[in-house]
Amino acid sequence: MSKITQNSARRTQNSQATRRDFLKTTAAASAVVATQLGLPAVHAAGSDRIKVGLIGCGNRGRGAAENVLSSASGVQIVALGDAFAEPLKNACELLTKFVQRQEIKDRDNTVDLPESRCFVGLDAYEKVIRCPEVNYVILATPPGFRPIHIEAAVAAGKNIFAEKPVAVDGPGIRKVLAACEEAKSKGLAIAAGTQRRHQRAYLETLQRIRDGAIGELVGGRCYWNTNTNTKRLAKPGTPDVAYQIRNWYGYPWLSGDHIVEQHVHNLDVLNWAFAAHPVAVVGMGYRVPRDPGFGPIFNFFAVDLEYPKGIHALSMCRQISYCANEIGEYLVGTKGMCHVNAFEINGKRLYTDKEKRKHPNPYVQEHTDLIESIRSGKPLNELKNVAESTLTAIMGRMSAYTGKRVTWEQALNSKEQLMPDSLTWDTPMPVPPVATPGKTPLV
Amino acid sequence: MPARSASKKKSLPCQGRGRVRLVCADEPPVLAYLTGYRRGTDFPYPGESLKMSKANTKPSASRRDFLKTATATASAAVAAQLSLPAVHAAGSDVIKVGLIGCGGRGTGAAENVLSAAPNVKIVALGDVFEGPLKHCRERLTKFAQSNRVKQLGNSVELSDSNCYQGLDAYKGVLSSEANYVILATPPGFRPIHLEAAVAAGKTIFTEKPVGVDGPGIRKVLKAYEEALNKNLAIVAGTQRRHQRAYLETLKKIHDGAIGDLVGGRAYWNQTTLWKRDRQKGMSDAAYQIYNWYAYVWLCGDHIVEQHIHNLDVLNWAFGTHPVKAVGMGYRVPRDKGYGAIYNFFAIDYEYPKGVHALSMCRQITGCANEVGEYLVGTKGMCHVNAYNINGKGLFTRKQLDTHTDPYVQEHTDLIASVRSGKPLNELKTVAESTLTAIMGRMSAYTGKAITWDMALNSKENTYPEGLTLDMSLPEPEVPTPGKTKFV
Repeated sequence: MSKITQNSARRTQNSQATRRDFLKTTAAASAVVATQLGLPAVHAAGSDRIKVGLIGCGNRGRGAAENVLSSASGVQIVALGDAFAEPLKNACELLTKFVQRQEIKDRDNTVDLPESRCFVGLDAYEKVIRCPEVNYVILATPPGFRPIHIEAAVAAGKNIFAEKPVAVDGPGIRKVLAACEEAKSKGLAIAAGTQRRHQRAYLETLQRIRDGAIGELVGGRCYWNTNTNTKRLAKPGTPDVAYQIRNWYGYPWLSGDHIVEQHVHNLDVLNWAFAAHPVAVVGMGYRVPRDPGFGPIFNFFAVDLEYPKGIHALSMCRQISYCANEIGEYLVGTKGMCHVNAFEINGKRLYTDKEKRKHPNPYVQEHTDLIESIRSGKPLNELKNVAESTLTAIMGRMSAYTGKRVTWEQALNSKEQLMPDSLTWDTPMPVPPVATPGKTPLV
Repeated sequence: MPARSASKKKSLPCQGRGRVRLVCADEPPVLAYLTGYRRGTDFPYPGESLKMSKANTKPSASRRDFLKTATATASAAVAAQLSLPAVHAAGSDVIKVGLIGCGGRGTGAAENVLSAAPNVKIVALGDVFEGPLKHCRERLTKFAQSNRVKQLGNSVELSDSNCYQGLDAYKGVLSSEANYVILATPPGFRPIHLEAAVAAGKTIFTEKPVGVDGPGIRKVLKAYEEALNKNLAIVAGTQRRHQRAYLETLKKIHDGAIGDLVGGRAYWNQTTLWKRDRQKGMSDAAYQIYNWYAYVWLCGDHIVEQHIHNLDVLNWAFGTHPVKAVGMGYRVPRDKGYGAIYNFFAIDYEYPKGVHALSMCRQITGCANEVGEYLVGTKGMCHVNAYNINGKGLFTRKQLDTHTDPYVQEHTDLIASVRSGKPLNELKTVAESTLTAIMGRMSAYTGKAITWDMALNSKENTYPEGLTLDMSLPEPEVPTPGKTKFV
């Protein structure tokens, strides 16, 4: 089914419970009325305004806020939260400038960010979520915080755009899966930042695969081999927690390592194609010498993923400059092959470059789809998919760190909790040693 | 049991009896090596051997025999020009074996050839060190007393004069009356030994791998052509190609049991392997040869030395070698004494037509282990080393127990090919599988994508120039992907 027909299907369906829950969670009653009348989910004169609270004001968070402002009419950024003052201030300035663009004005979209709704600190997320004005939160902090933020946002009945990944460890995934169930029962809409699932060319390519274009799938590969990720600056003498959050990419408790933080995109495509998650993985990886200030993450992983029915797929990711780079996904079927990110099936590209340039920006489209699902009263909930793709990456990391084969159940039920229960700026956070396969235990 | 007659046509090597080592085929020889040399109370080398050679005032055997080499090579060359197989040219059916490399695998291979066919004699030994030479001679002399060897009419005829020691020992063996040489030294020497053995017109059993770098492989491929011209028989120690269950499984695959092949996987993930500590008085060169597994110029790293077995099965199944490799690997901190080799590799091999296969090998204790190969086809899957196609095993355990030991069978097949005048020549195949492993290593070491042609034409010659046993050699540095250059 194409994206368009999916959305039409959503519009034609009706769910009383869903609509009731929607009433609780937003003040946009007239949008619900419009939906009940079966009207197209167009913006109804500002009465169903999407009021966005952004949690995590780094580049991706600010970018996501710009995306949501570009995605539909009747969108307002009304609250910001970040652990630090500086990125919040930057985001506030840049967003204020962004809404001056004509195309944003044309959409009747604005920012309304008084100081009273700009929150700084480790508890900024709670304050954003508690804002009665906010009905749509963007969760874009380092991934280690995501389970806590998702749990809180679902508890508060907010619609959620959650950046990927949604956790860094088994306990986090369990929290997210519980939140997913709660969100369903509350009729909350949740989209994830695995934007390939909102990218027209990916959607159509995957649809053809499911329609049998290359027969039954018997294998796959995915790669995110790229350059060294450089650390950010933190002032010398910065205490542990602040230093590590500033340089969050280098610390598994915050980023999950790059297989989780970045490669989750490609693993998500494999899971999407196979319509399943791996049952077990055997991974290898380590840390080629790098800047010691970068934290203890690895800089390469190669993971043999075992899907149901004995089907295997290869995952490779690397962050080392001057190596062979590739980002993408491939599928192998009984009747051919698909180079997914080239939108190429059995050597034939589905689109010309010119055609592809006309496709909507998927980073915008994911908000368009989410908002439309809210306004149509048929909320999307992608949390389980993204949680499974995140856990796929986590189990790969666990296997590479320990050298052990790791099953889905072992990863899901893992007792290894990387994020401290109650984090403060003073929480002692010694840098853990680099994991050593064969020695690091599987917990 | 009755021996295979020389006239018997070569078919699947299913005749004979013997236990098949099913998994981790290389482990028994390695264990034998360790138990024989490391744990024995009469640890025979090398500190002792160096001491002894200092005390010994006689000129070394290898020096004496070096002089003989020229004439021996010349007469073999004449025989070769007449297009007669060397064994037949000698006018005798007796296989006279010279063993070059008397470690655990070499000694094991000599025992295997003594068990493989009638009329086999071990007539010469050569090793760099005195210890393994002495130990091997004792072990083979004892082994010759076994009923099986006696029944076959085989013997071990070794004296001080046909046991050669030193870096040139191989020249001594090639100049001896041997017409069949077993090349079982560390792989870094193999191209030189192959070149010399082919020049000398010998029948060759060569252990795998057959090189450790591009220049070595080019030398071997040249020797392959020369051996073809001379009708020399060559079999390689990739014994799966002589293992009945593998042969029958691969035959079914080639007959289309799982359709067209669209993928594969090969693993050799095992525990940390041995190392040998430097002994008093050892030069750098002597130490590195003694502890050869740790040095790329000798071993090629474990992807080449060990995992080649599984890569060879993939090449065999696909009927070709990969066109490209993108690999990852590194060295998880380990004890000193492992040189600079890695302890894990994961390689994405690209075969023709965009078919990919995964290779993983690891030597780290405490991790998930697996040794084997898998194939994916358009009509099913094959777990090759389990001889299982689409979930169905081809053999019962009981049946497998009756299959011939492939380590013996490879010699049986080689000898049968010599005696029937239809010489086998496996050198190209094993050279390609070796280069497959080398290109994987090159990719992991550098981080670059390495094509077949890049690996084959590589200018990286790892062999120390002007190698002598008392030479100083630097300890190598661990290669760093992204920094180490492809040469």
